[in-house]
Formats: sequence, C-alpha cells, structure tokens
Amino acid sequence: MKSLRRLTRDQKKFRTALIMLAPALVFLAGMIAYPLATVIHDAFTYRHLINSSMTGFAGLENFKTVISDEHFFDAVQHTIIWTVFSVLGEYIMGMVTAVLLNQKFKGRAIFRTFIFIPWLVPIIVAGMTWEWILNPEFGIFNYMLTSFGIVDAPINFLGNSDYALATVIFVNIWRSFPYYTISFLSAMQSIPGDLSEAAAIDGAGMFRRFFSVTLPQLRSVSLVIVFIHVIWTAVNYDFIWVMTEGGPNYATETLPIMIYRYSMRTFNVGAASALSTMMFAVMAILFVFYYRKRTKISEDMA
Amino acid sequence: MLNKRNRRIAKVVTYILLVVFSIYTMFPFVWMLICSFKPKTEIRTATPSFLIDAPTLENFQRVLFDAGFVNYIKNSLIVSVVACALSMIIAVMAGYALSRFYKLKVVKVSNLAMMLSQMIPGVLLLVPLYMIMRQLGILESYGSLILAYTTFVIPLCTFMMSSFFDTVPMALEEAAEIDGCNKAQTLFKVILPLSVPSLVSTGLYAFINAWNEFMYGYIFISTDEYRTLTPAIMLFKGANTIDWGALMAGSVVAVIPMTVIFLFLQRYFLAGLMAGSVKG
Repeated sequence: MKSLRRLTRDQKKFRTALIMLAPALVFLAGMIAYPLATVIHDAFTYRHLINSSMTGFAGLENFKTVISDEHFFDAVQHTIIWTVFSVLGEYIMGMVTAVLLNQKFKGRAIFRTFIFIPWLVPIIVAGMTWEWILNPEFGIFNYMLTSFGIVDAPINFLGNSDYALATVIFVNIWRSFPYYTISFLSAMQSIPGDLSEAAAIDGAGMFRRFFSVTLPQLRSVSLVIVFIHVIWTAVNYDFIWVMTEGGPNYATETLPIMIYRYSMRTFNVGAASALSTMMFAVMAILFVFYYRKRTKISEDMA
Repeated sequence: MLNKRNRRIAKVVTYILLVVFSIYTMFPFVWMLICSFKPKTEIRTATPSFLIDAPTLENFQRVLFDAGFVNYIKNSLIVSVVACALSMIIAVMAGYALSRFYKLKVVKVSNLAMMLSQMIPGVLLLVPLYMIMRQLGILESYGSLILAYTTFVIPLCTFMMSSFFDTVPMALEEAAEIDGCNKAQTLFKVILPLSVPSLVSTGLYAFINAWNEFMYGYIFISTDEYRTLTPAIMLFKGANTIDWGALMAGSVVAVIPMTVIFLFLQRYFLAGLMAGSVKG
C-alpha cells in the first residue's frame, strides 16, 4: 500500500516536471536540434536555395567545394587571429578593470556603470559609431592624430587591408570586455577577504597577492568565460559584416562571413552546411577539452 | 607612515586608470550624442569639434520621419516585448523544474540539453532556420523574429530563474501546500511575488537581446513594413553618400531606451545575469 502511494507520488512529480519543461524543450527541439540535424544532413547533400533541380547525395563534394575555395585558408587564418586577439584583449581589459573596481573608494558605482555600458549597445551601433570616429575624411580620431603630429596623413582604418582586421578586433574588445569585468568582479567579491589579508601580513606585495591569491581563485570563472567567448567570437557574424562586410578585398573575411556568402549570396546551401558542419566539429572537440578541464577544476576545489 | 603613503599613491593610480578606462568606454557615446545635434556643415568637416555652433534637431527629423524610423522603432518594440514575455513564461516554468526536481533524469537531461544549446551559435543554423520560417510562411512577419529571439535566450534565462529558485526555501512551499494551495497556486501566490528582482533581470536580458539583435532581423525581413531598428540602421548606411548626422541620431534613438532602463535596474540586472551565467 505504502509503496504504491510512493510510486504515484513519484509519477506525479515526473509529470509536473515534464509539463514545466515542455515549452522549453519544444523550442529547443524545433529551433535548435532539428535545424542542427538539417545542417549535418545538408552538408552531404546537393542543395540550392533557388535551383531546386540540385538534389541527391553529394558525399564529400560540398566539403571539397569549400576547401578548394580560394579564400578558405585565409578565412581560417582570419578567424583564428580574430578570435585569439579579441578574447585575449577582452580578458586582459576585463581583469584589469575588475581589479581596479574591487577596491573600496568613492565613486565606484559610477565607474562600474561607465565601464559596463558598451555591453548594452547594439553591435550595429558600436560598429557604426567607431566607423564614424575612425573615418579618414571627417573622423575625430584621424583629426587628433594628424593635429598632434602623430601621423602625417589620415589612416583609412577600415578601408586599408593592413589595418582592417585589427580595427574590427579593437571595436569587438570595446564592446565585449565589460562582461568579463562584471564576471571577474562578482567572482572576486566571493573570495574571502582574510585570504588576501593573511598574505599581506606574511609580507606579500600587491602583485604577489594578485597572482598567488586572487588569480587561482578565478580559474573556474575564467575557464567558463573564455570558453564561451572563444565560441561566440569565432562564430560572430555581426561585427565584421556591419563594419567591413568581409572586405576590403577579403581582408576581414572569417568563416561565418563565408557561410553567409554561400547561403545568402550564391544560395549554395550544401556548401554553407558543409562549412557549418566543420565548425561544429571543431567546437565539439573544444567542448570535450573544456568539459574535462572543468571537471578537473571542480575536483581540485572539492 | 610609508604604508599610508603607498596606499594614497595606490588610490590616485586607481582613479587615474579608471578615468582613462571610462573615457575609452564612454567616448563613442559622447561623440555620437554631439554629432546627432550637428548640422550637415559641421559634420562633413575636416576639423571636427566638440562644440556645436548651431545645434539642430534636423538629423532626428530626417531619420525618424523621412527615413521611417518611427515605424522601425514600433516594430522593434513589438518584437522585443513579445519575445521577452514569451521567454519569461518559458524560463519561469523550466527554471522551476530545474530547481525543484533536479534529481529526476528528465531534468538532468534537459539541463545538459540547455547547456549545449547555449553553446550553439545562431549563424551556423541560419540556413535551416530560414527554411523553417519559409515553410511556416512567417518570413516577412514578426513571428519569425519572435520565435528566433525567444529560442536563443531560453537557456540563459532558465538558468537565471533556476538559480534564484534554488534560494527559495522548500519549507515555504510546504507551508503553502499544507494551507491547501496546489502547485500552480503555490507558484503564483507564493514564489513569483518573491521573485520580482529575478524576473526583472531575466526579462531585461531577453528584452535587450531582442532589441539589439541584428542578423536574423537582417535576413528574415526584407520589407520596410516589418523591419526592425538594427537592420534599418545598416541599410540606412548602405545609401550612396552616408548621412552621418542622421546615422548618429538613429543610433542615439536605438541606445537611449536601453541605457535608461539599465541605469534604473542595474543592481538587479547584474546580480541575476551573474547567477545565471555561473550556473550555465
């Protein structure tokens, strides 16, 4: 009798949980899992957005199309540079600002607000405003550079292929680093103060305290935030499209821009899907490393 | 003595560095705002200045009325509000399940599914999502954007809500149950009134995300009637000679509402955001 009642109660729990989760699961299944499966399927299929006579199993043809694209290896290289330098810059900026804001002083809340605000700006607005600031003809930045005599002639930051990628990375860092600041700050505030005090009494200086006490405590949050941003940055389409559309002369073309070009410009869905699938494969490998490392850190902590 | 002096130096250095960082983060806003009030002659000059000789509202006039931004703002508002409401309902339900029934296998699997979904970037799903919207016949409408925006915020919003529900003691619910409330009543009468701060931060996150999104709005919508604000700015720029004054005015219009809301709600917002992202 008792066991029967328990069972029904468990069943009831199960039913409630399922009902509560259902809407979320429907969305994830329909809008993420199903499209994901479609992408992988299409990667091995001939498929064209307009020309519906292209059908059938393609084997590895689509992958060949992508790899033999004359811009493919450059795009891979740009994607790596774009991701590594963006994340590195964001990490350093985020860490420095978090350390500064993690002290007691007047006006701290105002500075925190100032530093967080870029994160609220739509990417399009961030890109556009910086483009205007850096404009070679009417931009204030070039005007300052030339009037202080730092450069002789205005620099076309986005129109010159030597500077374009670096400029887009700079704007990305401006827009994205505040998230690191806030994450590090909230992690630092949960570090017990006596740890740092004890180190200070033992004679550790400011930098020593940071590297031996604070930084190790931030390992876990650093791992999460760096991993997520590596993924988000590598696949980011908006920044580059908004500022340069991959130009000038393909100097800022990354893999997501290539995906867009294949799907929305040449309508070759098969090739776009093959490229997406390759990116998924790389992400999956990264995820395995990340998951292992994360488990290891939480074991160390315990 | 020395210690005191060191501390004072540290403080001065802190202030100087923070001022430098603030100039870096705030300069584009200030410049955007200044330029939005400048007449054409002061925009297209090789010697730009921080002062405006003849401030004018004509940039706003051009962008809002002549370029039809009033309509785009309306569209952005509709899409963002609906996507925000929808994601909150879904996130409250799922977050509650994640928090209260975490021992069940369904819940564990769903938790993992959400973690993975959070990592899957929208651009890689661009083509199939476009096809789905086309098949559903909602490409040129609010529906496609609402669906897409809701989906991509569900994981983080759910984590934000569930980490809040974790802090609500079980005893509170048990007491309500003894008083004769069923699960739904408990949720609405006891738990949600307690969750206002988390609801605010979750909703704000969903809203900001929808308001700022660019790619789907750019690709799913090609008619002026349903265009949202961010793609409209991009297309406005694409015109032959760039009207920078009007562009800056349009940017001000896009940024101001977010900033004002954020300034009022930042304490809730940041705390909720951090709780959710640590969990995910």
